[in-house]
Amino acid sequence: MTAPITLRGVGKVFAPSARGQSPFVALDNVDLAVEAREIVAVVGPSGCGKTTILKLVAGFDVASSGSVMVNGRPVAPPGPDRAVVFQSPALFDWLTVRDNVVFGPRHRGEPKAEYLERAGELIGAVGLAGWEGHYPYQLSGGMRQRVQLARALINRPAVLLMDEPFGALDAQTRSRMQELLLRIWTAYHPTVLIVTHDVEEALLVAHRVYVMTRAPGHIKSCVTVPFGHPRGVDLVGTAEFAALKYSILKSLWEENT
Amino acid sequence: MPALTRYTLLSWATVAGILIVWWAVTALGLGARFHLPSPGDLAREAGVLAAHGYAQQPLSAHVLASLKRTLIGLGAGLAVGIPLGLWMGMSRTVFAILAPVFSFLRPIPPIAFIPLMILYFGIGEFSKIFLIFMAALSYVMLHAVSGVRSVPGDLISAGRNLGLTRAKLFLHVVFPAALPHIMTGVKTATAISWAIVVAAELIAAQAGLGFMVMDATTFFRVPDVYIGILIIGLIGLTLEFVTRAIERSLLHWQGR
Repeated sequence: MTAPITLRGVGKVFAPSARGQSPFVALDNVDLAVEAREIVAVVGPSGCGKTTILKLVAGFDVASSGSVMVNGRPVAPPGPDRAVVFQSPALFDWLTVRDNVVFGPRHRGEPKAEYLERAGELIGAVGLAGWEGHYPYQLSGGMRQRVQLARALINRPAVLLMDEPFGALDAQTRSRMQELLLRIWTAYHPTVLIVTHDVEEALLVAHRVYVMTRAPGHIKSCVTVPFGHPRGVDLVGTAEFAALKYSILKSLWEENT
Repeated sequence: MPALTRYTLLSWATVAGILIVWWAVTALGLGARFHLPSPGDLAREAGVLAAHGYAQQPLSAHVLASLKRTLIGLGAGLAVGIPLGLWMGMSRTVFAILAPVFSFLRPIPPIAFIPLMILYFGIGEFSKIFLIFMAALSYVMLHAVSGVRSVPGDLISAGRNLGLTRAKLFLHVVFPAALPHIMTGVKTATAISWAIVVAAELIAAQAGLGFMVMDATTFFRVPDVYIGILIIGLIGLTLEFVTRAIERSLLHWQGR
């Protein structure tokens, strides 16, 4: 069986935005794979192209060279098999929590009874039971990301793509969301590609962490995280975690000089 | 006392203050009574107008004449302007074709076109309604365009990601997301339409509140001029309340 996500020799060059500028090489020869039921994190200095990788897999953008394969096929235009959780809440403000969650299956014409049942279960799983009828403006930042998570998972995606999903949250909310992601993984075992600038977050949630260089970004190293599941946020207090975090940070600091 | 009631009370106090000053000025004979009738004079004259109408037509006929022109012109303007604006927002090509026309026309006070309208269409209903139609259209269109352009990119991406077709993406993501801007356009277009109908009637009409004000001035029926202006103001205020109420109910999800 092929890996849900395989990137081979992927490059991405953006055309210059103004005359006289040279083209911007965002990605250079990136190799990356995500196995089934695996959480893989990508960390790197800001502007290294880690979000570009996600956009290529999601189908929002097209690689300039190399191949991006999802489930053994060249990547298709955007679709619910590669559900995305955005950094911005990106919720439909005019719809209730429940209607946001069922948005995909409803507009693809799936059977109503079935998606409503799944929505009820997922809303409970992300800790929003009782909030089904509320509108996004009535929710906190963390709750909005919970809605996004449920809205993505209801599509039963082959891979879940997360773009700095907790980056805009305060530290406490962020760590509660990381715990939630771990619980969700334990319950549903989704395949996850998560992009983050937060090394601690990457080590806490992922099975493997890809470390990128600065632009033009390519993979500098791949760290296999030695901690088993289920995990809790208390993991960050262990010496082994601290040592691993330090070694990745050191590798990133080299990129800044 | 809750803040809201306190501020409401202050607003009413302003209204009361103006009435008192007005009454005092006229009671003390400080102004020429011919130019500034007292509140009592106006109330009496309002009673006469209500009973006998103006220029052989009941007062309600003048109100309805103005309202009818406004609502038809405004309705047609919104019906054409909103879809056209949405289309211009979605398509750079359509925008490039139409923008020069409307960018040029919009800053010209619509009233400047009244003589031309009369030249083209005569002084009948059509010239007034067409003028309102054009003004409402150009304002609501402007807001519909900026509404579409202000839809966050991530929201579009989310819709595409969830598997929506282009048509559904427009209907279920772009349009609702642009609605707050569109409603601002509707409010502006409504206020402008009402201002234009009165101006158009000042120049050429046989009925309507603008006609009444102009005609009363010609015949030195000064209290009728004031009453006409008051009714125009009150209806303008009512239109604003109505559009705001519609906005609040359509956009309740903004939580304002």
